[in-house]
Amino acid sequence: MTLRNVKETGMSKIHCLLAIMILCIILVPVIAYLIGGWYAYWGHVLLAIIFAVLAVFIKTQYYWEED
Amino acid sequence: MAPPIPEAGPEMMTGVIAAIAAFLTISILLGFFMRKKAKSFEEWLVGRRDIGPLVTGFALVASYLSGWAIFGNAGLGYAYGWSGSWLIGTTCVAGTALCLVIGYRMRKYVALGVRTVPEMLKVRFESRMVQALAGLAMIILLIVYSVGQYKAMATVWTITTNTSFFGSLLATAILVLVYLIVGGYTGTQWVSCLQGILLTIVGWTLGITALIWAGGPTRIAETIGMQVFTAPGGTQTQIPLKDYTLSLSPPEGLAFPGVDYVGVTAAMFMFLFMATGFPHNIARFLGTRKITKREYWVMLLILIVGGLTPLWIGVVGFAARTVWGDVLMATDPPIYGDSAAVYASISAGGIPLASLFAASVFAASVATIAGMVMIMATNITRDLIHNAYPKTSPKKLLWLTKLMLIPFIAIPLWWTFTSPPPILSEFMAGSAVAQAGIFFFVVGISMYWKRATKWGAITTIIYGLILTLLNPNAYGKLVGLYHWGYWALLLMFGSALTYFLVSLVTKPLPEEKLKKLFPKRKS
Repeated sequence: MTLRNVKETGMSKIHCLLAIMILCIILVPVIAYLIGGWYAYWGHVLLAIIFAVLAVFIKTQYYWEED
Repeated sequence: MAPPIPEAGPEMMTGVIAAIAAFLTISILLGFFMRKKAKSFEEWLVGRRDIGPLVTGFALVASYLSGWAIFGNAGLGYAYGWSGSWLIGTTCVAGTALCLVIGYRMRKYVALGVRTVPEMLKVRFESRMVQALAGLAMIILLIVYSVGQYKAMATVWTITTNTSFFGSLLATAILVLVYLIVGGYTGTQWVSCLQGILLTIVGWTLGITALIWAGGPTRIAETIGMQVFTAPGGTQTQIPLKDYTLSLSPPEGLAFPGVDYVGVTAAMFMFLFMATGFPHNIARFLGTRKITKREYWVMLLILIVGGLTPLWIGVVGFAARTVWGDVLMATDPPIYGDSAAVYASISAGGIPLASLFAASVFAASVATIAGMVMIMATNITRDLIHNAYPKTSPKKLLWLTKLMLIPFIAIPLWWTFTSPPPILSEFMAGSAVAQAGIFFFVVGISMYWKRATKWGAITTIIYGLILTLLNPNAYGKLVGLYHWGYWALLLMFGSALTYFLVSLVTKPLPEEKLKKLFPKRKS
């Protein structure tokens, strides 16, 4: 696999993860509207945690920086 | 039968004073010990860049959890039911994670002599004007934020000691002054870490206790589903609390973020941006040492556990609504529903939990006011006076800083005294939107986007401040801006547009100067 291919695969993975992060945000009002109650309340937390984990994963895996 | 609304007796008062005194003593001892260890004032401000992930994580939790999160969220849950969730911040963990991802680069600037956020902007843009303007913006926004903190602590003091609300406001101001005089304000990372741990433990404990006290989640959901909205003062409406939006009547009702899904969207973006946008949050990374990838995950774990605390406080509000109905909306003016957390803590947890909760509100609000007063005073001396007159002696600057503490304690005190906000978290959200809209881009994005320019930053700050004045509860009505959601979106995305467009049409710093600010990436 060439260096270019490796970079492209990495970028497509990042794009995929970013898409999931965006989905986590979009789903928040959707579950509030469709489900409501406690499921929406704690469901929002779950979506926010998935968002958070993915954000830190992208940072540590692809954008880690040294001093 | 529902338990009666509790009344505080002498035991309660003793418990609260003892808990606050204990917290104050530990804070002072820690602050004193750390101050003794520091070799200079600057080292004391940011430490020796040796702060690890645990302390940084909990310190970040403490600076994020103000009187809004640890106290006001119960008022939101109580007054608005599920639709209060948008300001309770059910998605706040996403925002704090963004702050963790973006904020770590602040460390880079400490090596370049930076000790405060406006100073970081001076270095990033090589512009004293950006530093001064950012300092000024912070003063305006932090004054508004301090008003909510005053109401939080004064409410706890009023209910637990049977003092009048206005007497309690004065007591709060005195506590802030004492905290500042004895050096508790130093808020070194260690003191903040202790606060973060206390707030997390008490918030979780109170939330779970209240959930059980009110009869469990099913009963809470059923009861809230049957209730209707009651305005502060006691006027009942026919608007049910069962949904995640609350269609309050226009035009006044449009100022509530949960009124429709436009407001909801704006509130979500506010929580996404504000943890990074709060200057007192992102400044936590100034003292952090180099951390490993594994430690980064540890910090995230702390932020998740601490970030759930505001949600548990929201649960306390739901529980109080279930047990007492809308009674509190008509009692204790101008406190109204904001009293829910205190009454629930007394009724559900007795004196021990209520005292610990009072100490937590003290930690979150009084310590936050003290920290903000210090930031504002430093903004005047370091970012404005020293900026304009660099030859001013350090001794004069120190005295000026001390002098400035008085007006910055008095201004928000007077504001709360003359015009206390009915629901404090709703009021504080106005300042939070502005801090999110302005500083997420000007501080956060500028650390990563080489093309950002000083003119982009300057115009964004000016735009953000003008829009802040047009808040629907301030001057927005004069220009027909009644809707909180449109206002907040206009502020945050207008700031983003201004920042990017103006930066793109103006000249950035030369490449050789940017090199030292933008490290090479390592995959």
